[in-house]
Amino acid sequence: MNAAALLSVNGLSASYGSAKVLFDISLAVAPRSIVACVGRNGAGKTTLLKTIAGFIKPTAGTVTAGDRTLIGLPPYDVARLGVKYVPQDKKVFSDLTVRENLELGSYATRDYNWDPVTTYFPKLKVLMDRKAGYLSGGERQMLMIGRAILGSPQVLLVDEPTEGLAPSIVAHLKNVFRELSKTAALVIVEQNLPLVCAIADKVYALSDGAIVATLSGSDEIRVDQCERFL
Amino acid sequence: MNRGPTLRKAWAWWWGILLAFMLIAGMRLVLPLPFVNEILIFSIYAIGCSFLLGKVGFISFGQPAYLAVGAYATAFYLFYFGTNPYIGILWGLAAGCAAALLVGPLFVRLRSDYFALVNLALAVIVFYLMQKVLAPITKGDNGLWFLTNMTSTPVLDITQPQQFFIFAFLVGLVVWAFYKYLDDTIFGACCLATKINEDKLQFLGYSNFRIRLAAFVIANTTTALAGSLYAVYLGAVSPEITAPSRTADPVIVILLGGVGTLYGPIVGSVAYTGMKDVISKLIGNWEMVIGPLLVIIMLAGEKGIWGTLEPWLKNVLFRRRNTAADDRDEAR
Repeated sequence: MNAAALLSVNGLSASYGSAKVLFDISLAVAPRSIVACVGRNGAGKTTLLKTIAGFIKPTAGTVTAGDRTLIGLPPYDVARLGVKYVPQDKKVFSDLTVRENLELGSYATRDYNWDPVTTYFPKLKVLMDRKAGYLSGGERQMLMIGRAILGSPQVLLVDEPTEGLAPSIVAHLKNVFRELSKTAALVIVEQNLPLVCAIADKVYALSDGAIVATLSGSDEIRVDQCERFL
Repeated sequence: MNRGPTLRKAWAWWWGILLAFMLIAGMRLVLPLPFVNEILIFSIYAIGCSFLLGKVGFISFGQPAYLAVGAYATAFYLFYFGTNPYIGILWGLAAGCAAALLVGPLFVRLRSDYFALVNLALAVIVFYLMQKVLAPITKGDNGLWFLTNMTSTPVLDITQPQQFFIFAFLVGLVVWAFYKYLDDTIFGACCLATKINEDKLQFLGYSNFRIRLAAFVIANTTTALAGSLYAVYLGAVSPEITAPSRTADPVIVILLGGVGTLYGPIVGSVAYTGMKDVISKLIGNWEMVIGPLLVIIMLAGEKGIWGTLEPWLKNVLFRRRNTAADDRDEAR
């Protein structure tokens, strides 16, 4: 695959029990780039991220971050290697405050500098002592992304970040992702095609657990092109 | 040097614990000594169970097993080897920690429901080990009696019930300060996070297994400490301490008091021991009262006595202070 890739996935297959869900997936993520995965519900996008993050054991293939293989590592070791997964369901640690949620991220990475977090998401500053369970969907997403960027991860795997969010928050997240891509690579699973087309450097289209198209460059990454795969 | 803010912070941290233990000390003035000693020991016994259920999400019906490990380790030392009750307690602590480290790596991998069952099985195993299998050493149902073996100790002679109360009181104070400190640490937050969503904690780079194992060892070492205190206080240990019929005792206490709350185990111990004491004088089958009472508490919102009282007390105690602070904020 691409020798300069920060994250390389080669021939990855995975299954839930006897049901195969990913078939021979290969993709490469360059440093400081945004890669998007699009596809219909059930195409295997979330499973792909979870397999990269170590939650699902692949049946075949390799995943490497830099020169380290991620296959066989538990999810917490994958996270410690700088490949952080931001899940889809926006479930934060509801009984903990925003501050405590961030402290968990800080302690794991030994990164206690919250300036980037509060710069990207100033709203979190005023919510520090609020229990995360009382946050809105958008605030939860901010908290989850903010927590994940502590420790300056190399790769962020972000699953459906704008699902159910107000347009103003989606626009804010778009800017944040652009900023984040200056220091880290992002793999975003997303159905919001205008967002994908605005920020992605490469788009992988998935269908039935396999990559069916790869789009790159502004000529190819267009909403009408991506729509064919939804 | 202005020590005001430091003292205020220290007071803000300690006042709840000090108030709780002042109330226990006050109870000593009006209630019989054995009753208060039992409350103190039962509270220490229950706090480990409360921590496991309230902070980690593990319900354990096997706490009598760890109680017995602590009690028997102390009893073996005092019956066969030595006479100093303090060293006996240290043996109990070490044995409890070792037992938790031995079974913990296997148990904490299980889901909460299986965790409850496997601990229950352990309690039954320990009961039959002490009653039958190790009977030549444990003296079976007769138990080990070592009250007269224990020698008086300088400064605080815990062979005397009155001084034992002071010792148990101080131990309780340290245990509560420790668990309150745990609540304030990242480890405490990790425990709560693993209960809320174990997968998400791994996304941040934490191993659920290690967090749960540490919590399990801490909780069960505390339970073993309670067992050691029982042994020294009673001067005897029998398999009855881990009888299958008593496996639910600490769970009942924390349900009564309030699961996961710092003071729930104390309130639950007072309520449980008190009801047992009072009701058993009136009717033989006192469990017939406890059972329906628990059902009512569960139906009333699962918060337990302290869980229900705490918000009300905070409202009463802090209303004036908060109102003043709100006024200041508004003025700004």
